[in-house]
Formats: sequence, structure tokens, C-alpha cells
Amino acid sequence: MRALRRIYRGENEIDFARWWKRGLTLSAVLIVISLLSLFTRGLNLGIDFEGGVSIEGKAPGVSVSQAQGAMDNLGVGAAKVQVIGTDTLRVQVTSDQEPKRDDIRQALADLAGTQASDFSVSTVGPSWGQEITHSAERALVFFLLAILLYLSIRLEWKMALGAVLAMIHDVIISVGVYSVLQLEVTPPTVIAFLTILGYSIYDTIVVFDKVKENQARPPIATRLTYTELSSLSMNEVLLRSINTSIVAILPVISMLMVGAGILGAVTLEEFSIALLVGMLSGAYSSIFVAMPIVVWLKEREPRNAALRERLASGKGGSLSRSQAEALSLSGSPSSTLVAGSPAKAPSTGATTTLARGGTSPTAPTTTAIPPRPRKKGKRR
Amino acid sequence: MASRKRRRSNTLIFILIAAVVCLLYSVLSNDRPFLGLDLQGGVSVVLQPQDPSVSKDSLDQAKQIINRRINGLGVAEANVTLQGSTILVEIPGVKDRDRALKVIGQTAQLQFRPVLAEYPVSTANTTDTTGTDGGTSIPPVDPSQSTSTSQQGLAPSRESGLVEGESAAGLQTTGPTATPTTAAPTAPTAAPTASTSTLDPAAQAALQQQVQSQIAAQSGTPPPLTSDEDLAKPDSKNQVVVVPEVDRKTGDTTAIFKLGPVLVEGTALDTASASIDDTGKWQVNPVFKDGKDGIDAFNAAAAKCNAGSDPTCPGTAGPGRLAVVLDNEVLTAPTINSANFQRDSIKISGSFDEKSAKDVALALKYGALPVVLVAQQSQIVSATLGQDALHAGLVAGAVGFVLVGIYMIAFYRLLGVLAMLKLLIEASILWALLCYMGAHIGLALTLAGITGIIVSIGVSLDSNVVYYEHLKEDVRAGRTVRAAIDQSFASAWSTILAADGASIIGAALLYFLTIGAVRGFALFLGLSTLLDLATSYCYMRPVVRWATSSQRCMGHPHQFGLPATPVVATSTSAKVSV
Repeated sequence: MRALRRIYRGENEIDFARWWKRGLTLSAVLIVISLLSLFTRGLNLGIDFEGGVSIEGKAPGVSVSQAQGAMDNLGVGAAKVQVIGTDTLRVQVTSDQEPKRDDIRQALADLAGTQASDFSVSTVGPSWGQEITHSAERALVFFLLAILLYLSIRLEWKMALGAVLAMIHDVIISVGVYSVLQLEVTPPTVIAFLTILGYSIYDTIVVFDKVKENQARPPIATRLTYTELSSLSMNEVLLRSINTSIVAILPVISMLMVGAGILGAVTLEEFSIALLVGMLSGAYSSIFVAMPIVVWLKEREPRNAALRERLASGKGGSLSRSQAEALSLSGSPSSTLVAGSPAKAPSTGATTTLARGGTSPTAPTTTAIPPRPRKKGKRR
Repeated sequence: MASRKRRRSNTLIFILIAAVVCLLYSVLSNDRPFLGLDLQGGVSVVLQPQDPSVSKDSLDQAKQIINRRINGLGVAEANVTLQGSTILVEIPGVKDRDRALKVIGQTAQLQFRPVLAEYPVSTANTTDTTGTDGGTSIPPVDPSQSTSTSQQGLAPSRESGLVEGESAAGLQTTGPTATPTTAAPTAPTAAPTASTSTLDPAAQAALQQQVQSQIAAQSGTPPPLTSDEDLAKPDSKNQVVVVPEVDRKTGDTTAIFKLGPVLVEGTALDTASASIDDTGKWQVNPVFKDGKDGIDAFNAAAAKCNAGSDPTCPGTAGPGRLAVVLDNEVLTAPTINSANFQRDSIKISGSFDEKSAKDVALALKYGALPVVLVAQQSQIVSATLGQDALHAGLVAGAVGFVLVGIYMIAFYRLLGVLAMLKLLIEASILWALLCYMGAHIGLALTLAGITGIIVSIGVSLDSNVVYYEHLKEDVRAGRTVRAAIDQSFASAWSTILAADGASIIGAALLYFLTIGAVRGFALFLGLSTLLDLATSYCYMRPVVRWATSSQRCMGHPHQFGLPATPVVATSTSAKVSV
């Protein structure tokens, strides 16, 4: 609770560098589990991938065993019978049973006491799944390349690489989730999942943008190693990342609960599970995968290595968040602050500020960045 | 500064007007979003060519043919799209779903039927087809007018000038025995476009109905005409039918034929090709099979038509015509100039150009489609399930909206309210877009699309979160709200642009590179993201600026979800640790 309050007030100083190691370890373990599960248990592929006929409709009060019995009578005992949501009955048979499609439909309608036309029928050829998989793979490859290019231009190639590796990580973990939990994989889930990946790098970009911004600020950039700078940036945008994730996930949870849980809309359920998995792994990997990779790449740059050595040999360069923010603040003209300040004092409360600027060990000498004087400070 | 300020409020006015216009449009117009088949029930089929190396041209042609085939069913809202090398056919809302599925999948029926009468479609009058003032002109045309160019061959039906001097008149005569004086003989090589016109399927159906009823009324003895629906049924074989001739390139109806019972089945045909004759004109060479069900059957029909006096294939002042009917459309209706043909030396010559000759040959050879298509996936969605899905999607969306609304307002107070207002603006614009695209482009809103829109609630609010947090950070750092507003926006905007850019790239790639109806998800997520960029810039920026510059914000920053502005001017404030 206290941690949350600190985050809310912008006072969090989490040493992300320490967490990165744990995060990467966790990710490595999860990836191993995912791959193991994928190769041993495989995926629960829907009929769209294997070919067959799926018949689906509202059948309140009809149990799986009743439906199974009806299928046995028709000579399609191998049919897969499920009740989805509360009262949606779904029966799937393989392609060779396709001629019995209408019989099955009628039998189910008789059971449910409705018309055959109240049941949906989906017939899939055996190679359709390959088609879907193929186009999804192609889209994924192009997508990764496009993001790599886009972020290389917009930010820098090392960050682009970090973001793309994080996305690949997301793909593997999500496939793992589907394999371990044996959730059914359908074309909607594949497409939904891929699309949400594009959205999930939102958080990653927010963090990277912040790192770039801080890096362009000499008072901070010269006094912190890249690792520290990244950790600082992450602390600064943590609340942003949390809130963007929450705001994005809330509607998806609503879809999962309302759409699938209460109303029994199967497609919604399939969609929202894929979206949820994609969003969660995206939020996680932006902090624990993308950033450490970038840090690792950047620390190998001669410039950053030299900085690291200089800071290590000299006075310990480490800055607390408030100090760093004070540094960045003191670089910009504060006159505007005075001028713009309202005459009224803010609601007092128990809050106040740390002393401005002065707390830092050495006052910065550089004048900072004219274009975007931003300041971070401290208060409350 | 003043001009910048004005520009800023200009963008606000712009986006508000846009929202209001969109709202008015969706209220006042009759356009409504067009629900996909998974929401209203319907049929969808994914067709794939058996031979994967088939050319794009053939696929396009196949697509058009399927499109017309479905339109023949009387469902105007069918959607046939090419996705990669597959053809996606979607028919939402069709009543008899099982039959629709059969019609799409069936191989075409090719038939040879005698021409009883031809009614050209006049360009000048087709707009009046629904009028009650008798403005529709469907003058019968003497079949003999279609003169042939080659003595030993068949002459095509593509003549022009059929309606000359008659366009204002109603149906003038009843039978195929019209007086030849009504029209001057025309050269068979004249461009057929002279008498073409565009007809949408509904108008065309109406026209056919009218032809039928007029024929019935004026001849006194109603012929056993079948309705449009029945055309696809095999038992119409022995009945008189009214069938349009359609330009296979443009889809325009060029003429309407009244045809007798089938004389020769398409199965009698072996193959067909297009070639150039001695005079350099394009012609089509059908080749019939040997034997009783092949060339013999054709010759039997040819003998009747060539005589011109047989009532089953009447000619006016000479030989009668035999129409080649494919998919209930007349491909060509040549005059039969000989009573006896060799199976492989038949020529249909006349006003063909290279393209049309090859098209007809292809159609004769392959039946309807230039490629062999295999149904990869088909779906029949029941209307009740569709409604349930729509209902669930709407409820989920509403609940999601309320949930994030509570969160945003709890966290950002008044700024949160402004964020939710931004969502409403986006919603009104998106709704209008949906209505417009549904009504005019035929873009269907699917369940995947609805989930895309629900997810975009988060996408949109993310921009607000990024901006607000930036603002808070700056205020915490000691700026006044007023001073922080613009700089925060600049930084936040660059972040928003980068992040939304990545989303849009992802959505666009997935939309263009994947197949199937789920592309709707990518489409609407991408659209909403674009919309978010617009509202963030045009609405969020000025409105947050306006709100935070109020006296109220200065006095009660917490009502705006902002931290209290530290008093930096004076260092009198006490140091109190939290």
C-alpha cells in the first residue's frame, strides 16, 4: 500500500536494474516451460486449423451427455461436444463426417426444441488452417520488420531491437500460455493476438521516449550510467505505464466477464483471452525484457563504458530520483515558475517540497537544453 | 502568441463541429451500420483456387461472376472480396442460408434456349423503371435484325440502335412478330455500348418483373413465367424464362430476353476457343461432344431454329436465334444460319473484340468460373446466435466504458471527465463513419470489429494518461499548471505519436496481410487509433488548457487530479517529510 502511495505521488525509487536480472531469469524460465509444453503437449487447435464441421447454437438445458448420446445415435460418436458459456452447445466433427452435417444439426435442434436454422454451421477445409497460419506468420514477420524500421528511425536501432525482441518474447510466452492451459486456438485469437502486439509496445515506447529525453539532458546524462539513467526513467514513467495498462485492460476484462461469462458469446471469449494474454505479457516485457536488452546493448558502447568507469572511479555518481529531477529542473529558467505561480498558496495539507536544487551534491554547471526545459521536482 | 492561441481554439472548434456534423448525419440520414453476418446471421464462404498459380485476372473475373450470381439471388448486400488468392463471399442477413450456400458453390448451368423475344434496355428510360407513368420502354425487337456477317456461321446478338425512335414509347407490341419498320437495320459491328445502361440488381429484378407482367397482360394468356427466384432451380428448364444479357465486363444489362425451354444442355459442349476469322474479326468456336447428347442434340435445335417457322424457335423473317444462357444470363444469342453443323467447325461471329470473344469462350469452356474454386471454409450463422453476439458485444462495450470511466475520474477527477468526453466525440465520429461505410461502401461491422472498438477505448485513453502524467510530473517539479501545459503537451505528443504510429503500422499490416473476417479487428483498431491522434491534438490539447487555466484549477488542483502547485517563489514553505 505504501509502495502504491509512493508511486501515486511520484516518489518511487525502484532499483530496476536489480529487478531486471530477476525478470530476465523469470522470462527465461517461462520461455523454457512454453517451449517444452509446446513440443510435448502441443496446442489445442480449433477446427479451423484441422478441418471439420462445427455446429453451434443455443440449447438451454441440454447437457453434454444428452448431446453426446444423440451423436452416438447418428453414428458420429467421435464428435466433440462442449457446452460453452451457460447454454451454448457446440459440436465438432471431422471433415469425413461432413455429409452428416444436416442430420447433426437437426438432431441438436430437436434436443434443444428449436429450429435447425437456429444452429450455426461452420465448415472448414483441411488446408484452411495452413492458409491462416501462413498469412499470420507472414504478417508477423513483416510486422516485426516494420516495427524494427520504424523505431530505428523514430528512436534508435538498439531500442528497436529491444522492442522487437520483447515482442518475440511475448509471442513465445503467449503460445506457452495457450499450450499449458490447453486453450483453444482459433483464427480470431491469432489475429487478435498479433494486432494487440502492435498496441502492446505502447508502454515500451513510452519508456524509451523518456530515456531519450533524459539522455538529452546533460546534467543527468553525465552523472548517471546508462543503467541508472534507464532505471530513473522507468521510475518516472512507472505510473504512466501502470495507468495505460489498466485503462487498456479494463475493457478487455469487461469483454471477458460480461460478453463471455454472462452472455455466453463464444467469439468474444476467444478474442478477449487472446487480448488479455497479449496485453499482460506486453506490459511485463516492456519493463523486464525490452529495457534490459537495450541497457545491455548500450552499456557496451565505448562512450557509456567510459562514463561508467569515470563514475565508478570518481565520486560515486549515483543520484536519487529527487536529486536527478532537481538537477534537470535547475537547468531551466525558473523565472517562469515565479511569474506563473498563483498568488494563492496550494492547499496545504501535510505536503511540501524538498529544497530545490540545492540538495544535489554538486550543482550543475551546464545550462540545459533550450528546446524543452522540463523539470522534475519533488513535493508533497 | 495570440495567433497560436487562436489556432488552438480553432482546432477545438473544428473537431466539435466535426462531431456535431457526424452526429447530425447519423441522426438525420437513414444510413445505419451494416452488420456483419456474425451479428445478424448469414452465410460466408472462403473459396480458393485449386491451382494456386492462377492469375489475378482470372480471380478477378471469378469474383465478378460470383458477385453477379449472388445478386441473382436477390440479396443486394452480398460482399465478395479478394483476399490474397482467396475469394471471400459474405452474405449477411440472407433468409434461406442453406440455399445461398449451394448457389455459390454450384457449378454453373450452361443452357441453350431459343429466343422468343428480345427487349433492349434503353439508357434513357432505365431510371424510370419504378415509375408508374408507363415511362419504361421495353420495345420488342425483331430478332431478324441481328444480321449475321458470315453465311455459314452464327450471328451474335450484339447489335445497337435497337431503341432508335422508340425510346419514349411503352411496350408497343406483344409478340416476337414486331414490324421491322420500327428500326433501321444496323451494322452488327456497332459498339454494343450504345444500348447499354447500368441497372442495379433491384431495378433489374423490377424490370424483369415488369416485362413478365406486361407480356402476360398484353398477350392475354399468361405464359408460365417463373419468378427470379426460381431461375436457379433446375425445374425451370422446361419453362419460358426472362433473362438479361449482361456485359460481362461492366455488369451492365444490355438486353432482356424472353427465352423458351432448354433445347440443349451445356453438358453437350466439349470445349471452346476464340480465334480470328479471315476478315480479321474475332469469333468464338464452340466444340460439341460427339453423339446423341452432343452435336446431335445441338443440330436438332439448329434445324428448328434455322427453319424459323417452328414455334419453339421462331424467326421473324428468317432463321431464329439460340441463346447461350449461363448462370441465368444470356452470354450471346446468335442467329442460327445453318441446320446442320460439324461438331468442331461452329463459329459465333460478329461484334466481338478480343476480350469479349475470349471471355465468352472461357465461359463456355469452364462454365461460370475461369478457375476451379474449392470452398475452404463455409459458415452458416444463425440469426439468433448473431443477435446474441451483438447484444453481448454492446453490453461488454458499455460496461468497459463505465469501468474505465470510473477509474479515469477517480484518478484524474475533472481531467478524467474531459477524457471521457473525448471518447464520446470519437464515438460520434466513429459511429458516423460506420453508418457511412456500411451504407455506401458495404463495409460490415463484425463482432471482431466491435471488439476492436472496445479495445480502442483503452488506446484512446492512453493518450490522456500519457499527457496527464506528464503534466503532473511537471507540476510536481515546480511549474505552475499554466506554464506546464504546453511543454507537457509537446513531450507527450511526441510519445503519443510514436506509440500510436506503431499501433497503426501493426493494424495496417495485419489488415492487408491476413485473410478472413477477423480483419475487422485490425481495421477498427487502426481507425480508432487514427481518430485518437486527431482528437488528442484537436480536442485534448485546447480543452485541457482551457480547463486548467480556470480559477477553479488554481484554487483546487486536486479536483483536476493534479498535485498542488508547489510555491517555489518563496522558500518559506516548511520542509515536512511525508
